[in-house]
Amino acid sequence: QVEIRAPGQQTIAVANTQLVPLSGTPLPAIAAELHDVMAADLELSGLFRQLDPAAFLDDARRPGLTSSRVDFNQWALLGAEILIKGGYQLQGERLLVDFRLYDVVHRRLLTGRRYAGLRRDVRTMAHKFADQVLKSVTGREGPFSSRIAYIDNRTGHKELYLMDTDGANALRLTDHRSIVLNPDFSPNGREVIYTSYRRGNPDLYRKQLSTGQEARLAFKKGLNIAARFRPDGREIALTQSATGNPELMLLGTDGSRRRRLTSHWGIDVDPSWSPAGDRLAFVSDRQGNPHIFVMDLLGGQTARLTANGKYNATPAWSPDGKRIAFTRLEKGVFDIYTVRPDGTDERRLTFGPGNKEHPRWSPDSRFLVYSSDQDGRKGIYIMRADGTGIRRISAGGGQCQHPAWSGQR
Amino acid sequence: CAKKPAPVPVTTDDQAAAQQAVQGVEEMGAGETGIGESMIGEESMDDSMSMPQTVASLERIYFNFDRYDLSPEAQAILINNAEYLKANPDQKVRIEGYCDERGSDEYNLALGERRALAAQKYLESLGVAGDRLSVISYGEEMPLDPAQNEDAYAMNRRAEFKSMP
Repeated sequence: QVEIRAPGQQTIAVANTQLVPLSGTPLPAIAAELHDVMAADLELSGLFRQLDPAAFLDDARRPGLTSSRVDFNQWALLGAEILIKGGYQLQGERLLVDFRLYDVVHRRLLTGRRYAGLRRDVRTMAHKFADQVLKSVTGREGPFSSRIAYIDNRTGHKELYLMDTDGANALRLTDHRSIVLNPDFSPNGREVIYTSYRRGNPDLYRKQLSTGQEARLAFKKGLNIAARFRPDGREIALTQSATGNPELMLLGTDGSRRRRLTSHWGIDVDPSWSPAGDRLAFVSDRQGNPHIFVMDLLGGQTARLTANGKYNATPAWSPDGKRIAFTRLEKGVFDIYTVRPDGTDERRLTFGPGNKEHPRWSPDSRFLVYSSDQDGRKGIYIMRADGTGIRRISAGGGQCQHPAWSGQR
Repeated sequence: CAKKPAPVPVTTDDQAAAQQAVQGVEEMGAGETGIGESMIGEESMDDSMSMPQTVASLERIYFNFDRYDLSPEAQAILINNAEYLKANPDQKVRIEGYCDERGSDEYNLALGERRALAAQKYLESLGVAGDRLSVISYGEEMPLDPAQNEDAYAMNRRAEFKSMP
């Protein structure tokens, strides 16, 4: 494994070649799509400098499925440190793709993958191998083959959608013709929970992604909102107000009530679990303005996290536990910050026009996804954890918000 | 049961070349880890949310930013509303709490409920029977004025009174 580099430090020179046909007729569309999806993911990671394909020599036209068949001299000549090669084969709708990642300096194979699927899975195959490239280079898989759930009102109603991490393959999941809000993935990625007004009250719903099967999970009178799975997937924290005041509650995944977490006159909302599931960041206005607090579920103490600002909301605890992202209202505009769980080292990540809200972490803690209306309409954006590499990923059409990132797939 | 609504493909606009039109069809698993497939489930389409109408003589009230206390003007309006309700004893009313769009949606849902509850309690203190009144919060959903300026925000920070059949 090549030595570890953090984004922004010196980048790794990569030759990302177009895959060649293993048999049968060449299919430029497939080769181009595999290449472009890979190039965009490598670019987003901030770890690489991609060499200009125009400079590639004839070895770029050979699949090179084993290191013995790769002419490393050509690539060393171009200054490539790592090399992506491989081939594809389409039989009817069955697509076979062979990816290889080589270490040019040490002239050896770093990793190889064979993907078998359908023609339409081509983008996901490239995302999956991009995850492996990051793993080979840094020891930690990338999140590119995971999925993002979000809310879009393009049909005239806020409905739940799913899309890839680059915005492709967007798919509408609900048809409630009401208001659907704030999805969250189960840790195993098989299920999404979300709030819907479909039956005239903000109730919590669940949907199995593979079957589309849907059910109500919590439907007490009043609020059943902002639900988040505990990282071990066994319990759900949310805000309910049947007791007369919005309080944080703990439910079993069957919707049964386990424990009441807050008993305070203030509004307590937006829970976000620590990776170990022993602490909960949340928003409360118990000290006047909305601020973020951290509750220790074992000991029971609650301490305020955000010292600055007058309106801090939607905390999101990074899966590696190191940072908590949140949004802060400053001079009439919301921007995204991150802070250590002990409240120190607060950093502002976004600037410029538009409200940036609802940050959520990628499963590998390298990226944040959030909503922003900087171009006049709310869209879903992605950026690296240090605030660089911002790009919009949701397609046009409606107002998109409330993104949620699935776990590793 | 109802015909399964075909998943609606989301077309992209002319934005990023990398995004392309989407197949709304069921995705099949693919080799190595079996790419998940997702589709739209079958839902029975009963619409149990009866559509209440705003009762002309039940006026809406407004709130300050991030507040749910009743201003003198709001109290005066509620006094009129209470008179109307006492004069129409069989009238049931749903009080809807709203916020302007700034702030986290979930915090606003909670704040909207606070606003609706504040109106309910005040009406009850004026002698309106509690069982005639129900409460719901829409937070920053359904703004009266979707614009993003102080006037629109002020319009949207409100509680509305809808008569229920």
